[in-house]
Amino acid sequence: MNILIGVLQKEENEYLVVLKEGKACLVASESETTGKEYLNYQILKEHNLLIKGEPVSGYGVFRFRYGPVTSGLREAGSFSLYTYGEKILHTTIDLNWKHRQMEQSMTGQKPDDAVKLSEKVCSNFAVSHSVACSLALENALGIRANTLVRNWRTLLMEAERVYNHLHVIYKLASAAAQKVLASHLGALFEESLRINKALSGSRYLMGINQINHINNLPALDTIRKTIKDYQGIIFQFEKLYKHSLSNPNFLDRLHHAGMLSREQASSLGLSRPSLRACGLEDNLNGATGEHLIALPVVTQQEGDALARMETRAEELVNSCQYLIDHLKVSDIWEGYNVADMAVKPEGEGLGISHSPSGAVGYYVVIKNNRVSYLRMFTPSYPGMHAVSEALKDQVFTDFPFVYDSFGVHFTDAAC
Amino acid sequence: MKWWPLYGLKKKWTERRTYESPVAVGRIPGSRFRRSLFVYVIDVGSSNALNFEIDALEAPQYNIHRFGIYMTDSPRHADVLLILGRPVKAMISPLRETIDQIPRPFGIIILDDCTDNPVGLNDTELLNVIAEVKGVPDPSQLLGMLLECLRVNGK
Amino acid sequence: MIQAEFWLAVILFLLGAFLASYRKVTYILAFSASLLVLLMGVAGFTFSGIFWKYTLLPGISLSLGIDRLSGVFLVMAAVVWIALALYSLDYSRLYPHKSLAAGFNVGLLGMLWILTARDGLTLMIGWEVMTVAAFVMMLASGKYFQQSFRFLAFGEFSFIFLLVGFAAMYISSGSIAFENIQTGGMLFMVFVSLGFIIKMDIVPFHGWMSGIYGEIPDTAAAILSAPVTLMGVYGLERIIPAIPNNEAWSLVLIVLGAVSAFWGGLQAVAANKVRLLPAYSTIENNGMILTAIGFYAIAKGSRDPGLHYLSLFAQAASLVLALSHTLAKTLLFMSLGHAKEAYNVHTIDEARGVWSGVGKTPALGIVIAALSFSAFPPLIGFTGEWMILETIFQSYKFPGAATAFFAAISGVLTAMAIGLISFAMIKLIGYTALGYDHGRKSQPMAKTWMRITETSLQLLIVICGIGLPAVILFFGYPELLFGLLGVPKPFALVSGDPLFGIISPTFIAIIMFILLIIPILVFMANRKSIRKVNSWNGGVPLDEQEFFTAQAYSQILEHILRKVYRTREISLGMHRRIEVEDILLRPIKSFTRLVQKLGEGEALVIMNGKISAYVTYILILFVLAFIIGVIVI
Repeated sequence: MNILIGVLQKEENEYLVVLKEGKACLVASESETTGKEYLNYQILKEHNLLIKGEPVSGYGVFRFRYGPVTSGLREAGSFSLYTYGEKILHTTIDLNWKHRQMEQSMTGQKPDDAVKLSEKVCSNFAVSHSVACSLALENALGIRANTLVRNWRTLLMEAERVYNHLHVIYKLASAAAQKVLASHLGALFEESLRINKALSGSRYLMGINQINHINNLPALDTIRKTIKDYQGIIFQFEKLYKHSLSNPNFLDRLHHAGMLSREQASSLGLSRPSLRACGLEDNLNGATGEHLIALPVVTQQEGDALARMETRAEELVNSCQYLIDHLKVSDIWEGYNVADMAVKPEGEGLGISHSPSGAVGYYVVIKNNRVSYLRMFTPSYPGMHAVSEALKDQVFTDFPFVYDSFGVHFTDAAC
Repeated sequence: MKWWPLYGLKKKWTERRTYESPVAVGRIPGSRFRRSLFVYVIDVGSSNALNFEIDALEAPQYNIHRFGIYMTDSPRHADVLLILGRPVKAMISPLRETIDQIPRPFGIIILDDCTDNPVGLNDTELLNVIAEVKGVPDPSQLLGMLLECLRVNGK
Repeated sequence: MIQAEFWLAVILFLLGAFLASYRKVTYILAFSASLLVLLMGVAGFTFSGIFWKYTLLPGISLSLGIDRLSGVFLVMAAVVWIALALYSLDYSRLYPHKSLAAGFNVGLLGMLWILTARDGLTLMIGWEVMTVAAFVMMLASGKYFQQSFRFLAFGEFSFIFLLVGFAAMYISSGSIAFENIQTGGMLFMVFVSLGFIIKMDIVPFHGWMSGIYGEIPDTAAAILSAPVTLMGVYGLERIIPAIPNNEAWSLVLIVLGAVSAFWGGLQAVAANKVRLLPAYSTIENNGMILTAIGFYAIAKGSRDPGLHYLSLFAQAASLVLALSHTLAKTLLFMSLGHAKEAYNVHTIDEARGVWSGVGKTPALGIVIAALSFSAFPPLIGFTGEWMILETIFQSYKFPGAATAFFAAISGVLTAMAIGLISFAMIKLIGYTALGYDHGRKSQPMAKTWMRITETSLQLLIVICGIGLPAVILFFGYPELLFGLLGVPKPFALVSGDPLFGIISPTFIAIIMFILLIIPILVFMANRKSIRKVNSWNGGVPLDEQEFFTAQAYSQILEHILRKVYRTREISLGMHRRIEVEDILLRPIKSFTRLVQKLGEGEALVIMNGKISAYVTYILILFVLAFIIGVIVI
């Protein structure tokens, strides 16, 4: 299936960034057919920072604003819920509070600095952003990253997937007031961040990925310890998760909360867990489309918060296993560390990576060894649209389940 | 299936160690925060790493409640305001409103992850800044800072 | 002496109606006449007997008299009449129509007649005069004839029931004087109670009020709610307990009263118009009064000495409830009228923030009246609702499984009613009286007399609450007051003999006062600096559209009880709302449509839209019925 992740203007022509069978391509847009083929075309073209801004009218209807400063969300962003009592009729999401104009700050930078800045767009998706950005820059400069770099990038992506999925499940457990489960998951989350630090020197895997280069490759002892730690995480998580699913209260809160149908999910342009939880298979299985061994595509059927959590739990275990298997053989990749190819001084390139919540895309144009034009397409933007859709006709007590289960962040959506 | 209250009872997650603060923490005039410290966290434009570090700080390894450190849900219950990130233009007025709602005496700790947001707030405009950290501190460093705050302001 | 007062009052009322074009004169005359009525009522505590008699036919005579019961009701009614007359000095500026003033005076005259009547015919004359006068008052708004005709139709129904009842009494006992009530018989009791119940707005006869209350002037609404329904209460108090072996019918009355109370509370929760809520509150209160009267009737009619205390207590309960309802409802309508006219709006949501937008006096009036309805100690409403619940608790003393069963049902319904009406009254207090005023400006209007009357009624409600022993003595039940548990006699009210339940609002007030003074003194001693901040709403001040609405407040109950309310969601694109319905009004509505269709032909001939024609029609029918009755005899 084809997923549209962005619309961009280049020299008075409009182009679509489409994922066709997992590969990213730039397609010229045609006014008549594009709107029908990709239902999220209009949304991505306008890229409005006020999502679904139309108000609801009616006798007794008022607007309940949740945010921008609230301890439940903590991020700077607001939800305006229209309601006549308990039911949420419509949700307007305001991304302006977190809009830091990152695209502008990255324009005019040297490629290496641009990669560093891309990690700051959303630090918990730091690897995804920096891999996508460096891929785009490498394409623009005509470099093909060597095997060592590519393999380590996939490992780092999976490490990022592990701690982000743990964080989502931790948040869902806290929202359901499952204190014991949440405490244990919190402990596992902290453990996974410490593993990141041991592996790469940074808890969020920041400052590791560069253009055709990986900094601070870990030593053999560190790798052995990391493998043991990931095995521990799998063991503890599986025990915990199986136990939690036996609790009907927990399941009841998540079941049928924030349901999305297949048509809705595909029309919003979602990808990875949010899409797979509705039962659709997207062929986006590689960090850079070049996983050493393809990871299984995990799908669920219902499209509710429980399905999204289940998808993430399975992906989490698969990723840990992948890390264990490939860290064991990572020492032989030293031999594949070849030098750079010739570098073009200018060009344009497209890079895609798969963050824990969906596809991240970067499109860059380089002139005189500086970034002259940059566009980024983050998964949280269609994700926020999905949150607004899924909140329709829910009750406010189900709000944290719907919001947390998508794993989207204001920082990422507003960039 | 084991009953939830008994689950993991034997495992001890909390670490017994000392926590160092990366910066010196100033004194809040008129404060007597001897036994507990209530912290309100506000994100004004961070890159989300700081948010995740606050979530990690609430993990059992750190067990901040044993020191009397609590995260509040409202600025009206806060002793210390923890500002995450450099303010985005749109968040300056909510930040000012939040500071206005905090009862005196209070202190502000700024965690600046250097994201170069357009239009930040001039530091001297904020009252009672007792500590400022550049970069993303570890939860152990954050905890060290909060414990130092308790120590300095508890007299 | 009483006779002189009576006739002088009649003359003053008639003069006032005559001089309806001179607004202030009319109401001052009404005020003076009401003052005379008050004196008459007080005199009734000492004197008891007939002071005027006129024989029409053998066995039928018109007689007027006074006794303790009449005196009590005369005083209760006169207090409210005085308040309304003075209030109208200012209020009538907004409704200067002659029909309002004339109807006011004549209506009060009719009520005076009812309260001093000593036989059925006099009562019925007064009844009809009151109904027609109330109808005339409604015309002061100059529109909405359909709903006012519906009111008149209900009034005539009640009159017809009274007529049939008294005719039955005449047939079975040969007289319609009140001293012979116990010979009335079953048919008489049933029909006459139905007549009074209709006037009391008991479900399912409450259909005339929907649509009326929004449009008529507030003094008319106040009169319709408080004194007019008080007449129904008076009639029931007079008739029902005097008849022996009334247990079955009293049970019917008890259940009907409880269902009414519950239904009134239920619909008050969903009400959104400023004046529909108090209308349903009237239904609820009158339902409770009817239940109390039912218990009083059973207790008295059984002639069981063990139930003597309970019969006294139940009667006292109905009287206290009647008093609290009359005072609080009048105050509520006066304050709401004041607020509504100042803002010039119709719904609760629009008339918000009376305290800051209109003034402290009407807001305080709304708060005190609403608290009294919510049974907030130590106000008089608290005592009334406590008394009815205590009466129902003691229903185990009545023999028979049927009584126990129906009493239990009525207890459940009454308790739920009290809870629901609290919910509804909180809506009034929180939104209308003390809410945020959204920057609304009220128009300037003359309000001196409005303020004076509102304040006096507020004081009266509080004083009657705190001074409950005085009220009980005024009603004539010194046996109910004791001195127990450290409270000196006569400040404690005991609900049963042997000891069942006990309250003392006087001492509640004293303790509340003491507990208030000490914290205030402590607070003032530790004066810290105070800083005022905006309300915390996520860092951004609240926008106009972000305020919680009154509709949303009720929606939760409307959703939980959606089967009863028939809650439906109407959604048209980006416009959505909730609609609820009072399903007990459906028969009335379909009957209205039927009558309209049938009556169209007839209406062209007789009801040609002129009021005079219709009134003539009524009088002709009355005379015809009279003549027929005479012929039959």
